Formats: sequence, C-alpha cells, structure tokens
Amino acid sequence: MHALVQGVILGILTGGVYALMASGQTLIFGIMKVVNLAQGAMVIMAAYLAYQLFTTFGVDPFLAIPITTILMFGLGVGVELLFLRPLRREDKSELSLLVTFAVALLIEGVLSVTWGTTYRSINAGYANSSWTLGRYQITVVRFWAFVLSLVALGLLFWLLNRTRFGRAVRATVQNPESARLLGVEAQWVSALGFGLGAATAAAAGSVYGLLYPFTPGSHYDLISRLLSIVVLGGLGSVGGAVVAGVIVSTSSAVVAATISPAWSEMTFFIVLILVLLIRPRGLFGSVNRGAI
Amino acid sequence: MSIPSVVRGGVFVAVLVTLPMLGLQHWFLNLLVFVLMYATMSSSWNLVGGFAGYPSLGHAGFFGIGAYTLALIFKDQVLATGYEPFLLLPLVGLVGALVGWPIALISMRTRADVFAIVTITFLFVVQTLAFNLHSLTGGSQGTALPIPPFSAAGFELPFYYVMVGLLVFTMGLTFATMRSKLGLSLVSIRADEDKARGVGVRVIGVKVLAFSVSVGITSMVGAVWAYYESFIYPQFAVDPLITIAMVLMTFLGGRGTLWGPVLGAVILESGQQLLTYQLGAVQLYLIAYALIFLVIILLLPRGILPTIEDRLRLRRRRRRTAAAAALPGGPPSSNVADAASMLGRGAT
Amino acid sequence: MTNLLSVQDVTKVFGGVRAVDGASLLVKEGTVTALIGPNGSGKTTLFNIITGYLKADAGRVEFDGSDVTGSDPGRLYRKGLSRTFQQARIFPQLTVQENLVVAGGYGWRSLFTSRIGRADRERAASLLEEFRLSDISELLASELSYGQRKLLEFAAVLMSEPKLVLLDEPTAGVNPVLIETMERHIRERNAAGITFLIVEHDMTFVMRLCDPVIVLDAGRPIFAGEPSVVQNNALVLDAYLGS
Repeated sequence: MHALVQGVILGILTGGVYALMASGQTLIFGIMKVVNLAQGAMVIMAAYLAYQLFTTFGVDPFLAIPITTILMFGLGVGVELLFLRPLRREDKSELSLLVTFAVALLIEGVLSVTWGTTYRSINAGYANSSWTLGRYQITVVRFWAFVLSLVALGLLFWLLNRTRFGRAVRATVQNPESARLLGVEAQWVSALGFGLGAATAAAAGSVYGLLYPFTPGSHYDLISRLLSIVVLGGLGSVGGAVVAGVIVSTSSAVVAATISPAWSEMTFFIVLILVLLIRPRGLFGSVNRGAI
Repeated sequence: MSIPSVVRGGVFVAVLVTLPMLGLQHWFLNLLVFVLMYATMSSSWNLVGGFAGYPSLGHAGFFGIGAYTLALIFKDQVLATGYEPFLLLPLVGLVGALVGWPIALISMRTRADVFAIVTITFLFVVQTLAFNLHSLTGGSQGTALPIPPFSAAGFELPFYYVMVGLLVFTMGLTFATMRSKLGLSLVSIRADEDKARGVGVRVIGVKVLAFSVSVGITSMVGAVWAYYESFIYPQFAVDPLITIAMVLMTFLGGRGTLWGPVLGAVILESGQQLLTYQLGAVQLYLIAYALIFLVIILLLPRGILPTIEDRLRLRRRRRRTAAAAALPGGPPSSNVADAASMLGRGAT
Repeated sequence: MTNLLSVQDVTKVFGGVRAVDGASLLVKEGTVTALIGPNGSGKTTLFNIITGYLKADAGRVEFDGSDVTGSDPGRLYRKGLSRTFQQARIFPQLTVQENLVVAGGYGWRSLFTSRIGRADRERAASLLEEFRLSDISELLASELSYGQRKLLEFAAVLMSEPKLVLLDEPTAGVNPVLIETMERHIRERNAAGITFLIVEHDMTFVMRLCDPVIVLDAGRPIFAGEPSVVQNNALVLDAYLGS
C-alpha cells in the first residue's frame, strides 16, 4: 500500500513534465497535422544545453530555462521553415513524418559528436535531497519540476486562450480553411506553432536533465512515451495530452513500484495498444473518416 | 510479362550468381553480403512503405526478432552441415509475419501517422525486451549462435548465395505484386485511401498482408545476419539505424518501384561500408544519413528511378504532341484529346 | 415505387452547431432526386453521413431494405451505393483504365490474379466507350483535365453496377458542354435502372433533370416536391433569400 501511494505521488509529479512535453507535441499536430518525431530529441538537446550552461557557467537548470526556451523556439521555427515548409502539399502528410524523424536523427548525431555518448546528468546540489511528508518522500527536484510544469502549462493555456496568436492557432486547428478566410496566415501560424512546441521541449529539457541520466540515444525512449501519451489524449488536444500525461506517468510509476521497473517501460506500449483497440481517437480526439 | 523485364531479371541473377567465381577478396565478398542484405530489406520495406505508402519505422524490430529467433532455435546446438539454419529460414519468416500480423491489424485501422507511431514504439519495445529478457536473449551480454562450419577460404559464399536467393525471392514477389490486383489495390491506397475504401478496395486486409509479408522477409534477413555474425548484441540486433538505412535506400532509389530499393542499397551500403574504414565513428553516419535523407526528401522526393521515368514520359509526350500537330488537320480536338492535357499541364 | 434510401431523424452536431438536425428523407427507386439548399444547410454533412464517411450522432439510414447506419463506405459500395466527390477524386498514379478496374469491387481471391485481366478489360471497355474515354485509356489520370476527371470518376463508380449513385455537385467547375454530357449520362443510366441522389447548386440543371427536389435548410428538409412547385414555394424562397 505504501509502495502504491508512493508510486502515485511519483507518477503525478513526473506526469507534469510529461504533460508539458506531450502538450507541445500534440499542439504541433493540431496545427500542422504533423507528428513531430523530433520532440524527444529536442528535449534531450535542451537537456544538453542546460547541462552545458550548468557545468560551464554554473547556471541553475531551472534558471537556464528562459535561455534554452528562446534558443529552442528559434530552432523549431527554423526546422519548420527549412524542412517542412518546402514540402509540396501532396507529399506533405506522407513525408513530414519522415522529415521530423530525420531531424531527430540529425539532432542525435550532432549531440553525439559534440558531447559523446557517455551518460550525463545535471548534478545540481539539491538533486538528491527530498522532503518527507508523513511516510512518503517527495524529491525536491520532482516537486519543483511539477511546479514548473504547472506554470509552463498555465502560460501555454493563457497563450492559447487569451492572446490573438492563440486564437489564430485554435482557429487553424479547428478549421484551417475558415481560418484562412478570416485572414489567419496558416503558414505563419505553423512556423510559430512549431517553435512553441520546441519551446515546451526546452522547459522540459532542464527538468529531464536533473531527473534522469541521458545520452543522445535517449530520445527514442522518450518519443515512444510521448507518442503513447499523445495518442491516449487524442491527437491535437492539449488538454488531453495533459490528462493523459498524468495518467500514463502515474500508471507507469505504480507498476514500477508494485510490480517491477522493467515492466513499467512496457506500460507505455500497453497503453498505446489498448487505446488503439478500444478508442482509437483517444480521450479527447476527433474521429477522422476522411470525407473532405 | 514483357521480354525486357525477363531479360533484365535473368541477367541480374546471372551476374549475381557468377560474381563470386571471379575470385574476389574477402572484404569485397563481405561487402556484397551486406549490400544484398540491405537490398533485400529495402525491397521488403518497399512493399509497405513504398507501395502502400505506410512508412514503417519499426522494421529493425523484426530484424532483431529474426536474429534472436534463430539464436534461440540453435541455442547450444552443434551443426552438422552448417546449412540447417538456412533451411529453417522460412520458419523464422513465419514467426516474423505472425508477430507482425496483429501489430498491423491494430495500427493500420486509422491513419498512417498512428501506424508510424506504433511501429516506432514497437521497435523500442523489442529493444527493451532484448536487453531485459536475459534468459532468452542473454541481455546486454549478447548471445551466441553456433559457429558456421564453413571453410575459412569460402566462408562468405553460403551466406552470399542464400542472400541472393532471398533477394531474388523478394524481387520476384514484388514483381508479381505489381502485376496483380494486389499491386493495383496498394497503389490506390497510397494515392487516396479513403477513395479506395469508397470504391470497394479491401484496404485493411491488403495493408495487413503487405506488412506481414514485409516483416517476415526482414526477419529472415535478421536471422541470416545473426548466423553470419555468430554473436549478437541487442543494440546491434535491434538497431534504429537499420530501419533508417532501409527507408533511406528505398527513398533514394524510388519508392514503389522494383529496382529502386536495390539501387539505393547498392549506392548507400557500398558507400557506408567503404567509408567505415575511413571514418569509423557511428555518430557521423547518423548525421550523414539524416542529411542525405533530408536532401533527398526535399530535392528528389520521388527518388532516382521515378524521376528518370517522369523525364522520359515527358519527352515521349512532347514527341507525341509534335507528331500529332504535324498531321494534316492538326491535333484531334474532341473532348477526349484535350490539347492542354497533352502538353502535360494536367487539371487544377 | 419502393424507397431505396430512407434517412430517419439523422442528427449531427459539430461543437454546438447542429449541422444536421433530425433530418428525414426518402429516395424512391428509379428517380433522379435532387438535394438542394443554401450554403450551410447541411447538404454535404448529410451526404457524408449517408455514404458512410461520417458517423451520425443519432438517427437511422436504411438502404435497399437493410439498416446501414454507421456502415463504412466500402461496405456500402459493395451493397450497391456509390458516390462521387465534389473535387473529382480519382487515382492520379493509375491510368484511366486502371481507375475503372480498381473500382470493380473484386474480392479476396481476385487479389492474386492479373492486374488487368481479360474480364476487366471487357468491363472497362464498355464504360470507356460510353464515356468516350477509350482514346485516353492509357493516360495517367493525373494528366487529365478537370472535366475528364469528373467523367472518369462517374464512370468508375458505375463499375460495380450500383443501385444508387450519389453525385456530389456534378456540375461544379465544369463547362456547359460537359454539363450537357453529364446530364445525358445520368438520364441514360437512370433509364437503365439506376437511382440518383444529386447535391447541386446549379438550379437550371436541377430543374431540367430532377424530380423530386428536396430542399434542405438549417440541417433538415423543409420541402420536397416537383421542380416547378419548389421554385415558387414560399418556404424555399425564404430559406435561400434569408429573413
């Protein structure tokens, strides 16, 4: 019982971070109908950036976030402009997937060459400390990561619901044709949207670096998890990604605590299969039968 | 079947069969074995990624399944002739296809995006299992297969010929598919799946069939590789780089063509093998592959062979228009022979 | 005359908007029925629901005596209900002839037979002849003009010998000569026993060809009757001109 509750606490705390990463990914899908297979790689890249800022300049990973966010936003916009924009409309759905995959590999390759393949982690002083709440432990890092995720998600929601840009984004997601008629520049929204997705990866990257040891190849593990979360939440639904992120992360942590850590990695895949068998559109996604 | 294709096929097989008799050096035969492996895998990937238009990102998982299946079958066994593993290849292929079948059923019901998601996740799961199921796979320590009892002088030869056999089989299958209604269905699915469904094409069944066959073949190649290497590690048996290579080679040569994947494999695998001696670092492959991939997708999205085919067709059409215009009375002008369409400017 | 198609109380809501609101209609066998209505009346949505491309939130669709609510397009096609699309969807990478053959509705075993067999050639030949596409049967569909594509799409859905064909704006973006051609083909096929349900904006085309005419407004039929009566009906005028 104790293990179960501890697992739940852990899951919820980590869930916030996953929710943040997944929301960026599902947002990109919602705007551009592109599955960004480079989302995991972008998180890892941000982790390396935070790592470097920490080891060279002693910048605390949380404080590095504004810097990494701006850098990654730029990267995201750049990727969209350079690699996704030139795709012709007919090829777009088929090829954009592979393009983002290639970008992920490119990032992995560059990271390998720059930092090598030994595992790194950001060893901030508080990395191992934790608070005790009754019989349960709450690691400091996880707690602040959770808070950060809430803040970042809050910012994202504010951006999407209260600003003109956000409204343009939501209009494009719901109905690209009408949005265009109303004067929304879909391409401009695409580029900035992709940048935004990359920015969420930046925020999550610092946290990831603090929580887990990482290597350039870590993005495969990460992207598989994110994809399962996004599918459960419903492709394109940011709220769904948040809910799903917490659900999947909690299930995984509970499994790790009560059964075994090895099985917890399977949790993501099992969730993915179950969703596809029972309700392919996920919790909040829409059905697509392809008439128009 | 037209005479030229039979001749082309015949010449190709004849060349492959006689090549080793030229007294080639070991490193070259080794290179050829790998080129054949990738040509076969790319051709098999082409069935589902090229013809059907469903880019599977998890084929490397089936490569690993084939490798470990053979390792398990022959665990601690002593081989008599050394050809036993080859004889059991069809069994390995069947295992791969049986694993792939439910995966396809689950993931191919909605859209190609979801399919890619499932396949990439599957790859990761297989890799995790390979690392964790110590009793079956030896975990990160790897697992051994019986050493092939072939002479040192002609070690590569059996593998070479088996791979030639697999490649010819795969290409034959591809050829037959292109000539059948199965091929017609696959192209229609790739062109406009919802419309295909709407005109009665059995989309799900066709996709699942293509995927199962495709991964079955990939599993067989994995098994041959395992036997060739004699000792396999999870990070190499289930390596995303294998998927990437297959996809890239098919793209380069031309998706949905018979010779495209083979051409892509010849170019890229020989290039990679030759550069191995110069560069060495795996990380640079990754960057190189990724960059080549992006360049191809952006600049030559159809691949080499289809682009050449398009140019030829354009030239043929221009000649036809010129010939038609030269006839007395000018070009035909019924609603059937729309002049605009003859000039290559299709609708909208 | 029996009711070949029966739509009962179908509703479809899109985020608060009732695109189709308790719509019911009947299509009698042997007719060329029109479905008209101002923009936003729900014609396309209803069309997509009937043809299986969209799932209704409520209601029932019956075709040829059996309940086909929620059936997918493939199943409907095999039962004898086919449709065309406004944008003339054909398979660009296939030739004209192949576009017809692939729509032939073949079963599992046929998958392993020849891509274009003798039987396919014969079936396709008569349609190619009828639609005057024989000369270009070897061209890739991507090389056709828009008008040719519309003809090809129409011809292709006839390959399975359907009972009911739903045409989605057959005259949209098409020149007057081709409109006449389309009309002729529809009449000929109707005389041969095919029922048509046509969504259209071109009123003169509708008035010439169709009977009855069903008028849709705000997601449900508000009137159905002969073309001459429909033209003068107050409700219909109201719907189009707005109030």
